[in-house]
Amino acid sequence: MKGFFNWIDDRTGIAKLTREALFERVPGGARWRYVWGSTLTFAIMVQFITGVFLWMGYSPSATSAWESVYYIQNEMSFGWLLRGIHHWTAQIMVILLLLHLVQVVIDSAYRAPREFNFWFGVILLFLTLAISLTGYLLPWDQKGFWATKVATNLAGVVPLIGEDLQKVIVGGSDYGHHTLTRFFALHAGVLPGALVALIVVHIYLFRRHGITEAKPATRAGALYYWCLLGVVFGALTVMAFIFKDSAKAWVPWSVAGVCAAIVLRIAFLFIRGKDDDSARRPRRDGMFWPDQILKDAIACVAVMAAVLFFVFWKGTELTAPADPSQPYNAARPDWYFMSLFQMLKFSVFEGALGLVIGAIIVPSILVSAVFMMPLIGTSKVGHWVNVVMLYSLIGGFAVLTAMGFNHDANDPEYKLGVANAHAEAERLNELISINGGIPPEGALTLLYKDPKIRGPKLFAANCASCHPHGGEDGIGGKVQDPSAPDLKGVGSHKWIAGLLDHKRYISAEYFGNTAFKDGKMADHLEDIELLPEDIEAVSAALASEAKVHGYIEPKGGKEFIDSGFDLMFEDLECADCHGIQGEDEGKGPSLTGYMSRDWMIRFVGNPSHADFYGVKNDRMPSFLGMTLKDGAEKPGELSRQDVELIVDWLRGEWPRSEGGKN
Amino acid sequence: MTEQTNEEEPLDPQRREFMAKAVSVFAGGAIVSIPVGAGVATLFSPLLGEGQGGVRIRLAAVEDLPADGSPKLYQVVAERSDAWTKYPAKPLGSVFLRKLEDGGVQAFNSSCPHAGCSVGFRARDEVFYCPCHESTFLLDGSRGEVCVSPRGLDSLEVDQEKLKEGEVWVTFQNFAAGIEDKKAI
Repeated sequence: MKGFFNWIDDRTGIAKLTREALFERVPGGARWRYVWGSTLTFAIMVQFITGVFLWMGYSPSATSAWESVYYIQNEMSFGWLLRGIHHWTAQIMVILLLLHLVQVVIDSAYRAPREFNFWFGVILLFLTLAISLTGYLLPWDQKGFWATKVATNLAGVVPLIGEDLQKVIVGGSDYGHHTLTRFFALHAGVLPGALVALIVVHIYLFRRHGITEAKPATRAGALYYWCLLGVVFGALTVMAFIFKDSAKAWVPWSVAGVCAAIVLRIAFLFIRGKDDDSARRPRRDGMFWPDQILKDAIACVAVMAAVLFFVFWKGTELTAPADPSQPYNAARPDWYFMSLFQMLKFSVFEGALGLVIGAIIVPSILVSAVFMMPLIGTSKVGHWVNVVMLYSLIGGFAVLTAMGFNHDANDPEYKLGVANAHAEAERLNELISINGGIPPEGALTLLYKDPKIRGPKLFAANCASCHPHGGEDGIGGKVQDPSAPDLKGVGSHKWIAGLLDHKRYISAEYFGNTAFKDGKMADHLEDIELLPEDIEAVSAALASEAKVHGYIEPKGGKEFIDSGFDLMFEDLECADCHGIQGEDEGKGPSLTGYMSRDWMIRFVGNPSHADFYGVKNDRMPSFLGMTLKDGAEKPGELSRQDVELIVDWLRGEWPRSEGGKN
Repeated sequence: MTEQTNEEEPLDPQRREFMAKAVSVFAGGAIVSIPVGAGVATLFSPLLGEGQGGVRIRLAAVEDLPADGSPKLYQVVAERSDAWTKYPAKPLGSVFLRKLEDGGVQAFNSSCPHAGCSVGFRARDEVFYCPCHESTFLLDGSRGEVCVSPRGLDSLEVDQEKLKEGEVWVTFQNFAAGIEDKKAI
């Protein structure tokens, strides 16, 4: 075995390479504060591994990206875990990057001769952010689509080259296949390639210069850092209490708790702190293997544990497929870009110039400032300037991010947008399972043909300016001044019973805001004073014509229904005006097949037809196209499919999975 | 060390070395630039082609629009090509239509001219509101009191001839975001 190993070593020099890699001296011994670089390397490895496996299941095109991610997430064995690890590691990586940067700056590890390594590190930071940004779009869901639209529009305001830059990134003027292919090539090819190349240089330079030994802790030094931390958390606590109404009660108290712990630590340092506590750790130098690697490994386990915690706790979001014609009130970037997003709301960044300043110039200045750190930090004062600058940057980042999230937590429109996107995604999952898969045109077509999802949207756009649906417009908005009957439960026994109650008939719930309030039907209902049992029987009869979803035959069965019809024909004189069961079509709306699917489609299509309101129609438009008396074609506002979708939704008829909730 | 291949034509070694270097660098550069050039040319191809321009589409009948002048949102779904796919009906965006007192109709692209989010209508305040950076726009599309957008909502061309027949036909078009001028893309 040894001979074989020597044979390889003679030809490759692998033993020397391994020795050099492992037996690096760690001056002052292994320390926890040195783990950040290793955790980052680990996180990047995780991203490469999970990324390559995701790649095997992903298809970048406008009709297959969402679909393939859906398949990975819901159908492939452990796909949810693979995607979850990739997603959450990306989030945690940003935090690790910040910690790494903070540690490097605090320990002034950027000083000569390590300037270049610091600069490479900062470039790596931005490469990682670019990989995150491009990855956000790839599922091609509403969230990624709208956020990317904003991001690419911001690229479009870069002076001089913005317009061309945007076109090259987007792959044309419209977002589509080529936006995805380009983003994917950047996300999985160009940027990771650059990342690897720079990491090699970064680690080479790190090894060339060795670890920057952290100074032995002194009381003054420790007090200084803990006081800074105290200021940051003090500010966060004040903010948390100012905005305490917008978050759960435990949030401000938790922040306050951390702040109190910091204050205690400062007090402890004052009273008991030693000027040199280097005795607490070995004075001898440690070795990278195994001293530091053990600490690194434990830290990496903690990182993985955190990733898995989020995968299991929060899952990995996939909202409804991207649809540029479907407004999305919750377009937000990932949390680490939230501060930039929030900043652009300020009026100082108003207008075209403001946008260039806010989106391009200010971030560029801040990045330049970070780049300048090795040059600023050559003296002790310079180093302090850097530390204060870094804490201010992180503080500003934290405050702006908190402001952004706080705003959203209090914005009902945002919350509704998120809820709708989730509901649509959930419904789409159900539709895919009912359909047994996704049609070749893409998943969006399933949503467009679904009464449960499309119906309320079409209702909101076309009906809700007059008709409420349970007081709302179908998609969660309030109908301000309803002027026609509330259509929630239309055609059901309960709804029809309400209609037959004179008081309710002339109320805003039914015809109170229409011309029919003073019409014949209102007068008739008042005159005949229906008994509750009459209302029961007639409602049962009409509901049996409608047979909306959830219809159950009444207790008396067919006999009871027939008794309702008999009442309508005889005692109640309904047949004087209304056609009933195909007989005697009167001037009032036909009750033959009342509120059945076909009746409703014809009614919505042309309420002025003699079968319905005829000339007495009060404002209701004809939604389907028709041929006029002079032979001219009058196009309708909606297609037949759209009318069917609205009617099916109102009747509660949509595909349901076995054992589905509704 | 001297190298002379031909005594009658002495070759300066320095010059020969320079030539060797120059040719190597040139050859190396040339062979790399060919594949890179081909790649870059396709990368920049979106800059060469023209956009697909606007889409003329019927959205509504005039009588369907609210008489009180409040806006109504319509989806724009039309035939459109995207790289290799030709969609018979592709969702492109959405448009606010609103009836004017003089009988005319105003149409706005719902995409915010600031950064491209979808603008909504807040009936209670009678303003258009962008849920991203909180810009507001007045009913006529102009910039509202709180508005970081550099320009008002982008109005779209409404076919006046069709309007006389009671039909609302609009030329749907997207415009560059973040600048003061309304520039079609």
